Amino acid sequence: MRKTRVAAALAVCALGAGGLAACGSGSSSGKTTITFMEAMSSGTLKTSMETLTKRFEKAHPDIDVQLQVEPDYGTLRNKETAALSASKPPTIGQVYSDWAATFAKSNVVVPLTDYAKPADLKALYPSVRDDLYLPADHKLYMWPFNKSVVIQYYNTKMLSAKGKSAPKTWDEFAATARAVSGKGNVGIAIDPGGSAGPAGGEAWFEILSQAYGTPVFAADGKPQFTSPAAIKAMNYLVGLKKAGALTLGKNYPGQVALGAGKGGFDISSVASYYYNSKAVGGKFPMGTAPLPTGPGGTQANQMAGTNIVMFAKASDAERKAAWSYLRFLTSADSQAYWAQNSGYLPVTPAALPKMTDFIKKNPYQKFAAQALTTAKADPPYPWISQAQGMLAVAMQSAITGKQSASAALGSAQQQAVDAMKSGQ
Amino acid sequence: MATRRRVAGPVLRRVVAVVVGLTFLGPFWWVLVTSLARTGDVYKFPPSLLPHWHWANYARAWAAAPWVRLFGNTVLIALCTVVLAVVTSVLAGYAFGVLRFRGRTALFTVVLAVMMVPQTVLLIPDYVIAQTIDWLDTYWIQIIPFGGSVFGIFLVRQFFAGLPPELFDAAELDGAGRLRTLWSIGVPLVRPAVIIVALNVFMGSWNAFVWPFIMTSSTSVQPVEVGLATFYGAEGTDWTGLSAAVTFTTLPVLALFLALQRHFVTGAYSAAGGLK
Amino acid sequence: MATTQLDRPSRRGVAVRSRRRSRDRSGPTAVLFSLPALAIFAIFTILPTAYTFVISLFDWNPLNVSQSTFIGADNYRKLFAHSTPSFAASALTSLYFTAGMVIGGTAISLAIALLLSRGGSWLSGVRVAVFVPHVTPLVATSIVWVWIFNPQFGLANAILRWLHLPAVDWLDSSSTAMPAILTYSLWHEVGFTVVIFLGGLAVVSGELGEAARVDGANRWQEFWYVTWPQLRPVTLFVVTISTISSLQAFTQFFVMTEGGPAHATTTLSYLLYQEAFVFFHTGYAAALAVVLFVVTALFTLLQFRTRRSTLS
Repeated sequence: MRKTRVAAALAVCALGAGGLAACGSGSSSGKTTITFMEAMSSGTLKTSMETLTKRFEKAHPDIDVQLQVEPDYGTLRNKETAALSASKPPTIGQVYSDWAATFAKSNVVVPLTDYAKPADLKALYPSVRDDLYLPADHKLYMWPFNKSVVIQYYNTKMLSAKGKSAPKTWDEFAATARAVSGKGNVGIAIDPGGSAGPAGGEAWFEILSQAYGTPVFAADGKPQFTSPAAIKAMNYLVGLKKAGALTLGKNYPGQVALGAGKGGFDISSVASYYYNSKAVGGKFPMGTAPLPTGPGGTQANQMAGTNIVMFAKASDAERKAAWSYLRFLTSADSQAYWAQNSGYLPVTPAALPKMTDFIKKNPYQKFAAQALTTAKADPPYPWISQAQGMLAVAMQSAITGKQSASAALGSAQQQAVDAMKSGQ
Repeated sequence: MATRRRVAGPVLRRVVAVVVGLTFLGPFWWVLVTSLARTGDVYKFPPSLLPHWHWANYARAWAAAPWVRLFGNTVLIALCTVVLAVVTSVLAGYAFGVLRFRGRTALFTVVLAVMMVPQTVLLIPDYVIAQTIDWLDTYWIQIIPFGGSVFGIFLVRQFFAGLPPELFDAAELDGAGRLRTLWSIGVPLVRPAVIIVALNVFMGSWNAFVWPFIMTSSTSVQPVEVGLATFYGAEGTDWTGLSAAVTFTTLPVLALFLALQRHFVTGAYSAAGGLK
Repeated sequence: MATTQLDRPSRRGVAVRSRRRSRDRSGPTAVLFSLPALAIFAIFTILPTAYTFVISLFDWNPLNVSQSTFIGADNYRKLFAHSTPSFAASALTSLYFTAGMVIGGTAISLAIALLLSRGGSWLSGVRVAVFVPHVTPLVATSIVWVWIFNPQFGLANAILRWLHLPAVDWLDSSSTAMPAILTYSLWHEVGFTVVIFLGGLAVVSGELGEAARVDGANRWQEFWYVTWPQLRPVTLFVVTISTISSLQAFTQFFVMTEGGPAHATTTLSYLLYQEAFVFFHTGYAAALAVVLFVVTALFTLLQFRTRRSTLS
C-alpha cells in the first residue's frame, strides 16, 4: 500500500516534469533564428523593444528574433558569461564596453568590420561612434543601442518655496540642496552602489570629478582616483551629507524621495524620465535641466548605456541576420520610435526630424541630445566596472564618515591599480 | 501575597507571550498594509498601519510575471525533491543504522564530509556538469542534486540505531526481503524522522534561490522565488506591487504550513526528545 | 575518526559479534540501499569538489578554457595577501554573523521556549506565530525587510520615532547593516529552534525540578542547576545546525546589502559568490571555496568532538 503510493508519487513527478517541460518549448523551422540577450525588462523599455522586434520580423519574414530578457545588467552579464562558458551563447548580446573588452580578450566575440559600411558609421553621433571600438586592436566590436546622459530632475514647488530655480553651477546646486533640506526633506538621495557594481551615485561622482578638472579614468583606463579634482568631488558630497542635504539609499533612492515629495533633486540618466514622472505622478510639476557646470563653466557629463556585440559561435547566416537586425535598430525610424518610447537618446541625429513634436513636448530631450555630443564614456577596459565598484565603496566610507575622502580614495586607487594589473 | 503571585504570574506570562507573538507577526501585517496602500500612502512618515484596501497593486503585480506557472514549478520541484530525498534517506539510513558491512564507517565518513561542503562551492563545477549532461534550464537540475540529504540520512540512521536490532534480525533475508521489512516495520517506526526530513528538504527546495537563478533562464522551469527576485530587480522601487507579489506568493506555503503544523511540531518534538 | 563515537560500539558490541555470519551477506544489500544517495553525492558534490580543487590551481578563464594557465598555489597565496575585502576580513564578518546567530539565536529561542513551555494549549497560538516566519521563503521576506529598514519610510524608524529615539540608517550604514541583517535572520530562524527546545523541555524530568523547589531552590536556580543540564544534547544540536546554516547563509546578504556598505556584510559565502559570479575570478574563487570547505569541516569536527567529550 505504502509502496504503491510512493511509486505513484514518483510516476506523477516524472510525468509532471516531462509534461510541463514539453509545453514550455516551441520550435520553428525554415527560418534563421537569432537570439538577443538583453536587459530591457520593465515598463515601456520592454514593450518598445518587443514592438521594434516585431516590426523587424514583419519586414524580414525569413528571420526570427528571440529576445532573452534578463532583469538587470548584473544578471545579464552573469547569464552571458554562463552561456559562453557552456559554449551556448546567444547570437548577439547587450554589453557595457568593458565587458566587450573582456569578451574580446577571450576571443568569444567577433569584430563587425565586415558588416558595417562607412555610411552606417557616419550616420551615428561621433561620441557614440568612438565608443564602439576596443583599444586592444582598434577594431569595431560593438554596435550602439541604448544611450543616455545624466540630467537633473527637481521638485519645482520645493525650489520655488525657497526662491530658487534650477542651479547652473555645482556650487549653486549645493546651496540649493542645503536650502531645501530639513523637516523630513532632503536635497538629494543617492545610491553609489557597492563592490558588486556601481549605481547612479557613482556616476555622479565621476561627473563631479570631471567637472573639477580630472576624470577618474585616464584615456588608457588608468585609475586616477586621488587627483585633487576627485578629492574635491568627494568632499563636496561629504559636505552635503554633513549638512543633512544628502542621504544614501538603495533602489533608486533619488527617484523615491523625489516622487514622495521629500527630495529636492535627482541626478539621474534621461532614461529615468519615464520612471521619475511616474513616481511624481502629477503631485507637483517636475523640472528638468542640464547638469550644472564646474568651475569656469566646465561642462562634464557621462555617456552611459550599452552597446551590442556579436558572439563568435554564430553561423554565417545567423551573423548576417543579426547584422540586419542591428542595422534596423539604429535606423532613423527605429531610433525615433525607441527614443520617444524608452526615454533613451537616439544614437543618430537623423532621428531628430522624425520626432519634432516629442521634442517640443519634452524639452529635456533637446538639451540631453546636445549633451550627448560632448559627453564622454568610460574607456573600455576589462577592469573598469570592478574599479567603479571600488569607487562606490570609497563613497560609502567617506560619506558615512568612516574614512576621510582622501583615505577612502587612496585605498580605492590602490585596489583599482591591482585590479588593472591582474586584468591586463 | 501568595495568591496574588499565583494570579499575576500566569497573566504576566501570557502578556509577555502575546507581545512576543505579535512581534513575530508584525512584518506580516506590515507587508499586508503596504500591499494594499496607494503609492502615495507608502511615502508618508510615520507610515499608516491600517490598510487602504487598494487592490490595484495585486492586479499590477499579478500581470508582471506568469506566477501560476512559476508556482506550479516550485510545487512540482519541491514535491519531487521531497519524495526522492525521503526514499534515499530511509534506504541509506537503514543501511548505516541497521546493516553491518565492511567499510561502513568509511562510507559514513564520506557522507558526513558531504555535509561540510558549502553549497556555494558547488555552483561553478555543477554548472559545468549540468551543461555536460544537458540539464541546464530543466527541472532535473533542480530536483536530482537535492535528492540526497546528509541531514536526512543522519537523522534516519540515528532513529534506526536507537531501535532494538532484533526487530530486523533476519539474516536469511535477501535485498527484496529487507525492503519489505523496511517498509512494513522500519518506516512506521522512524516516522518522526521522516517528517522532519520531509520538512527540511521541502524548506530547502522552497528556499532555493541562487541555484535555480544560475542554472535556469526560462520562466517555464523557474521557481517562484526566482520570479520574485526578477520582479524585485526590475521594479525595485514599486513597493506596493512588490508587497502584493510577496503576499500572494507566500500565502499558499503559509496555508500549507498552518494545515500541517501539528505534524511538524510533533515530529520536531520527538526528534528533539530522541537527542541524547 | 568523527564517526567512531556515532557508532555507539558499547551498546552494539554484543549484537555485532553474535551476527558476524550475517555481516557479509548484508554487504550487497547495504551497498544497494545506500547507492541512490551515494550516487547523487558522487556526481553533484564529491566530483565537483575535486574539480574545484583542480580549478583552484589555475588562472581559469571561464569564457575560454583553453586560455587557462596552471599557476600552482598562487591563488591560495593571493587569498592571504592583501586584497579587498580580504579573506581575513570576510572571515571575521562571517564570524560576527555566526556568533550573533548562534549565541543570540540560542539564547532567544531558549527564552521563548521557557516562556511557552507547559503553557497549555493557550500558548500554542503564540508558538505558531513564532514558527511562521521560518516557513516563509528567504527571498520574499528579505525584500519585505529591506522595506522595513528603509530609513525614510520604513517601519523600523517609525518605531524608533514612536519611542523618541533618533532615526538609524540601518542597511545603508556600515555599523548597523549587520545588526539589521541579524535581526531579520533571527526573526526568520528562531521559530525552528524554539520548537526544538520545546521538544527538549517536554521530556525534561519534572520530578527533579519539584525536588529542587522543595529543597528551597528559586526558579532561576532550578533552571540553572536542573533544567539547563538536561537540555545539553538539544542545545548542542541547535548550536551545530545554526553554525552550519549561518556559515552558509547567503540569500539575505544577496538581497538586502550585496555585501555592503563598504564590505560591512561581505561574509565568506558572499565573497565567494562575488569573486565567482560578479568578477569572474574563477580560479581565485575556487581557492576560496576549498578553504571554506576546510574551515567548515574543522568547525564540524570540533563540534563532534565537544559532543563526544560532554557525552562521556
